[in-house]
Amino acid sequence: MTRLVVGLAAVPAAVLAVVLIPAAPASAHPLGNFSINQYLGLTLYPDRVEASAVVDIAEIPTLQDRSDVDVDADGSASDTERSSYAATTCADLAAGVDARAGGQRLVWTVERSEFASFPGTGGLEVSRLGCSLTAPAALDAPTEVRVDNRYLADRVGWREMTATGVGLRLVDSSVPSRSVSEGLRSYPEDLLSSALDVRSATIRVEPGAGTGAEGAKNGAGAEDGAAVLSGGSDPLSRWMAAVDRRFQDLAGGTLTPLVGLLAVLLAILLGAGHAALPGHGKTILAAYLAGRRGRPRDALAVAGTVTLTHTGGVLALGLLLTAGTAIAGEEILGWLGLASGALVLAVGVTMLAGLLRRRGRGQHDHLAGHHHAHSHDHNHDHDHHDHDHHDHHTHEQGRRRSGRLGLAGIGLAGGLVPSPSALVVLLAAIGLGRTGFGVLLVIAYGAGMAATLTGAGLILLALQPRMTRAALAGGAGPGGLTTGLARLTARLHAATPVATTGLVLLVGAGLATRAAAGVF
Amino acid sequence: MRRLIGTPLRIGAVALAIALALVLLGGMLGRAPEAPQIAAEPAAVTPVDRLEQMIQRSQERLRRVPGDWHTWASLGMAYLERARITADPTYYPKAEEAVRRSLAVKPDGNTDALVAQGALANARHNFAAARRYALAAIKTNGYHADAYGVLTDAETQLGNAGAATAAVQRLLDLRPGLSAYARASYDLEQRGLTDQASDLMRRALVAAVDRHDIAFCRNQLGDLALSAGDLAAADAEYAAGLAAEPSSVALQRGRARVAAMSGRTEEALSAYAALTRRAPTPSYLIEYADLLRSAGREADAHSQLRLATAAHQLFTGNGGVDGLTGAALAEASGQPTRALREAQAEWARRKHADVADTLGWALHLSNRDTEALAYARRANTTGARSAIYAYHLGMIELALGDRATARHHLTAALQINPHFSPLDAPAARQALANLGSS
Repeated sequence: MTRLVVGLAAVPAAVLAVVLIPAAPASAHPLGNFSINQYLGLTLYPDRVEASAVVDIAEIPTLQDRSDVDVDADGSASDTERSSYAATTCADLAAGVDARAGGQRLVWTVERSEFASFPGTGGLEVSRLGCSLTAPAALDAPTEVRVDNRYLADRVGWREMTATGVGLRLVDSSVPSRSVSEGLRSYPEDLLSSALDVRSATIRVEPGAGTGAEGAKNGAGAEDGAAVLSGGSDPLSRWMAAVDRRFQDLAGGTLTPLVGLLAVLLAILLGAGHAALPGHGKTILAAYLAGRRGRPRDALAVAGTVTLTHTGGVLALGLLLTAGTAIAGEEILGWLGLASGALVLAVGVTMLAGLLRRRGRGQHDHLAGHHHAHSHDHNHDHDHHDHDHHDHHTHEQGRRRSGRLGLAGIGLAGGLVPSPSALVVLLAAIGLGRTGFGVLLVIAYGAGMAATLTGAGLILLALQPRMTRAALAGGAGPGGLTTGLARLTARLHAATPVATTGLVLLVGAGLATRAAAGVF
Repeated sequence: MRRLIGTPLRIGAVALAIALALVLLGGMLGRAPEAPQIAAEPAAVTPVDRLEQMIQRSQERLRRVPGDWHTWASLGMAYLERARITADPTYYPKAEEAVRRSLAVKPDGNTDALVAQGALANARHNFAAARRYALAAIKTNGYHADAYGVLTDAETQLGNAGAATAAVQRLLDLRPGLSAYARASYDLEQRGLTDQASDLMRRALVAAVDRHDIAFCRNQLGDLALSAGDLAAADAEYAAGLAAEPSSVALQRGRARVAAMSGRTEEALSAYAALTRRAPTPSYLIEYADLLRSAGREADAHSQLRLATAAHQLFTGNGGVDGLTGAALAEASGQPTRALREAQAEWARRKHADVADTLGWALHLSNRDTEALAYARRANTTGARSAIYAYHLGMIELALGDRATARHHLTAALQINPHFSPLDAPAARQALANLGSS
């Protein structure tokens, strides 16, 4: 029994010891020598909420409160004076922290409190208060927990909150699970971030295992402006995001030939990755189209269109954004996404029209069209067609032109939405007066995208004759299973135009609706 | 035949695509003006915090475009503005670093950074350096309104009234807005034209949208009313300002001063206690200590002065120079020698009327009244209608035995503002009573 009590008391003491030792000099207070900085770390259990509060008090307020600590005014604070001051102040703090679980206000008990002073700047002292609070709460069912910190609300200072769960799952949390200041021990010294001012937290909990908050947002706000469109947490996206940040840093740093070369390489790599990222339905689409047409030239055509459109789009948008800040970049991206979807849809409609037209002319024409798909590879075109030569040529040219239009449309759609990271890099370069370098990087980025698209197209191209040969061989030779498989392949092959048209329409509609949802 | 069918279909598809693109473009352009309207609507209800928005926008932009020297300089200016509003000097190093980054990208002809450096020097009371920066900025760009703002502040504080008026006139010509009106108003006030100063401040108030700007205008109007002894008008201005920006420390100090001058000492004391907890600046703490002393709470006054000394140490430790506050602090702590030293050092730096007044009074406290008289007269001949200047002059004249002019100036002090100080106004009355009885 005694051992148990000792054990329980030792845990918060150890926590406090860690919390109270200042790792950074007091001059690092982000809001200066006036500030009173607060951190509230919430831990949610199925039966209770625990809060570990730290108050980091800068020089002047420490001096102001000295008479409250040093009650007998003998010039120094004794241990008893300190602990009684800690207890009273923690009680004040607990009264200021309004926590509710499912609307029911929680009643805090101060489990432990500690107060200590340390040397600060100008021969003055700084001080730290640590409080461990606990309150019973029924969190064994889906509940919403809301915590408002109103302690010393009118003082300037850093205000931070975190939340983690033990024995339950945090479904959605408005605060992160980790403290960016490590419990007020090292404030980020970023010139570009304002002090945190988080005064409330809303957390939804569900029964289940796991710590941390799944929906936890970064406390410092949207730190990565580049991730406007590319969300997701699969390894490729994560890797891309990391390379992205490196890339943007490169464009802003000092420019040496090596750095320049590296930046161009990275741009190509990023472009390639960007095209391969999930959510780029147009990639698959373009590759598919190129594969169906069966000519390397077509794959190259798509790639070229994508590169040209993307480079032009990024340059135009970049210039637009530098000319005036009245236009929101993200909104433009949304509209361009919509236009891209609409374009794919339009190509789909044209294909459908062509298909219906050919359907009207019967099976023969369909076979001719099918034949054409691989005729160039075997170098025996016009071998066994039996209708008017002249007419066939007209038809062939018309189809090719419409096919080329379709390819161009798909390429246009693929390059129409400028990738945010290319845009960011261009803006950075313009800001640094390195417009030429920025343009070069954007072109490299587009080339990378083109490489992925061409590569995908060429791979399909390489695979297609083999598939077709297998189908033909299967059709000629005996054997039940082989014949069945071959027949299936042949049927699939015959259905390709229909499937392609359907896919184009589907992807176009998908892209358009997704973009529309973002815009309207 | 097939071509005839195919062509219209294709043309139709292309037309559809073009139409869609046009519709989308139209939608995009049509949507653009909507945003400001939405933003403007709540502004009518609760004034916006433009400074915060501007800081956030700048931070966001610099994260993307770290080489944007324009934005680095304006972020530096914004941090300075934040320092002014929160009365927290630790924003100065942050502002300085931002300006340094701007200069690192563009060291030559960087007008924005020069102006920001000038503003920073002004904030640190290094007015001579501020003047140099402003003049250098004007050399690179003679149409930079903010440069004239910095120049105005520096010339005013250095005591070059003529140059200050010329600079503020140029500022008014270049950009007649809040900053021009506010500075022109202060210029008029310095020349004793308080009514015109108030009129101009009202015009500035009409132009103010941001809640900090509204608070600033209301505070200036309140201070103008208060220096003329019009407590009711001052209180109304402060209250209106606090309605727009409840957290403004300057306005809270205004209300505390009104309470003190109205004789509501307890209310004033608790207001000062709350104020100095939030913004423990040396000048607020000295005022608080004066009030405590006038209420007979000598020990409490002493501990506030100790706090003020610490805060002043931190200000100077952060690169600030403020002999005026140093002198006031020494004087309030009963150290006339140090007060004189601080005042003399400040006078060597600048020749503003406030410094002349402080130096004169410090000389008087060191019993050097003959020298003191020249400085006190100089402060009173700038044209500014200040009760405290007149009081100091009257007391020095009294010490020199010039009873007639002493009576004249002490009466003038109480006429300008019968409540000008919790300690000095009763002292002036006492001196006048003694003069009258003899």
